[in-house]
Amino acid sequence: MSTAASPPVLASTTRSGIGYWVAGLRSMLRFDLARARQWAALMVVIQVLMGVGMALIYGFFYPRISHETALYITTGTPALALIPLGFVMVPASVGEQKLGGTFDFTWSLPAPRSAQATSTFLLFTLLSLPGAVLALVISAWHYGVSLSISAQIVPGTLLCALTAVSVGFGMALVIADPLLTNLITNALMFVVLLFTPIVYPPSHLPAWLFAVDRALPFYNMAQVIRAGLTSGLVTGLASCYLILMGWTAAGWLMTAWVVGRRH
Amino acid sequence: MMAAVTGLAPSATVRKGLPYWAESYWAMTRWHLIGLRMWLGLLVVVQIMAGAGFVLGIALFFDRIPVTAALFVSTGVPVINLVLVGLILGPQLVAEQKVQQSYDFVRSMPVPRAPAAAAWYTVCLLAGLPAVAVSLVIAQARYGFSFSPSPAIVPAVLLTAFTGTMIGYGLGHAVPNPMVTQLVTQLLVFVIFGFTPILFPAWQLPHWLAVVNWWFPFGHMAVIVRAGLTTGMVTGIASSYLIVAVWGIIGAAASAWALGRRG
Repeated sequence: MSTAASPPVLASTTRSGIGYWVAGLRSMLRFDLARARQWAALMVVIQVLMGVGMALIYGFFYPRISHETALYITTGTPALALIPLGFVMVPASVGEQKLGGTFDFTWSLPAPRSAQATSTFLLFTLLSLPGAVLALVISAWHYGVSLSISAQIVPGTLLCALTAVSVGFGMALVIADPLLTNLITNALMFVVLLFTPIVYPPSHLPAWLFAVDRALPFYNMAQVIRAGLTSGLVTGLASCYLILMGWTAAGWLMTAWVVGRRH
Repeated sequence: MMAAVTGLAPSATVRKGLPYWAESYWAMTRWHLIGLRMWLGLLVVVQIMAGAGFVLGIALFFDRIPVTAALFVSTGVPVINLVLVGLILGPQLVAEQKVQQSYDFVRSMPVPRAPAAAAWYTVCLLAGLPAVAVSLVIAQARYGFSFSPSPAIVPAVLLTAFTGTMIGYGLGHAVPNPMVTQLVTQLLVFVIFGFTPILFPAWQLPHWLAVVNWWFPFGHMAVIVRAGLTTGMVTGIASSYLIVAVWGIIGAAASAWALGRRG
């Protein structure tokens, strides 16, 4: 009787080490994947619709679509599919989890929080790729553009997806109020879709605006992806990669700062 | 004692007539203005910024923006300003009330349906007008247009806002599932910005899409507003007025049907 009543004894040692972290990551990936089954397909569909829709809409604004315009729009399409995912859908999903209380539940699971965040980054990065590829294929077909694809498209796209997811996640964590996050991400999308040279060349911009865009991740994402799809159109790639890595690191730092705090 | 009890009894006569109508209209207008006081200021600012952003941002799509493109955007943005609140935010508010179960309470208020709808129309119009003015002023400054508003601008603006608001009113009240309302309105934003000939001429759309658009009110709203702002730019105004008006009546009828049902 007395043995049955005694509570389960918690381990007195703190579990740590690489092995424990990897095990935590594996369980979290399984956990996140199982949850993602509900919405992953819908997310890819929305992403393709957004990417293709934006690519079509940009075309409607031009009285005459030159080959250069078509090339810029088509090669900007993958970025158009990745940016809303990272900067709108990821923060929205975090916001929903915060409001619903699942966010705190997940944090209470016995896995290192760094493993939890890594699992989220991995999952969203991988999930964002099919939509981006599909949107590119449809856009290239619509505009009749032939692309010269090089191997650097693979690391380029992976980095872009990771950057978008990392910054979006970090932002959603740092800003406590989900409604405020929602407002900021929507305003951000509007500004990015109009004022960032993703589907048009940067020569259209005034110098000061281009300087701002070069420091932000969006233009650099478009450039890195464009470099993998065309030859001779993109120069100065190294700085694009560096800035994207910087933003990814910033997203991780924001995440680490919030995740490390107790509340 | 007796007198106090009779004081609580509902009046035996049905209230009606113009004074009662006017009183209800004024009460509901105040109700909306006070209920939305936090939002309205923000909404007007967001509308102004979005309108200005679009008018200025479109120039970046081009190396040198053609006059027609600038003129179409500058005269199309006011249309979006006019319908955004009534068509998009209105149904979202009603959907939210349905989710939060305050919808039945609002419906139970002793106000006839028509002045309630008229009050909502007034609020939507008021929320849109400042942005219309600012967008036009910015377009004049940026592109050097001198708009010559004719008296026709008054019915055009009033009717455009009416139809936008009434379609939104119908969407909010006649569609039972709030999730469907949310989805449709989000889709509508996308459609209005990119797939209707508001911000660009209809001939820049694929032919079939232009044909489909002819049956919908959005392109025609742009035609009648444009006719009030410019001279010699648009033709076929009569049929445009007719189609916009018919859609306004459809929206109003759908709302009246939904609100008139018991249960």
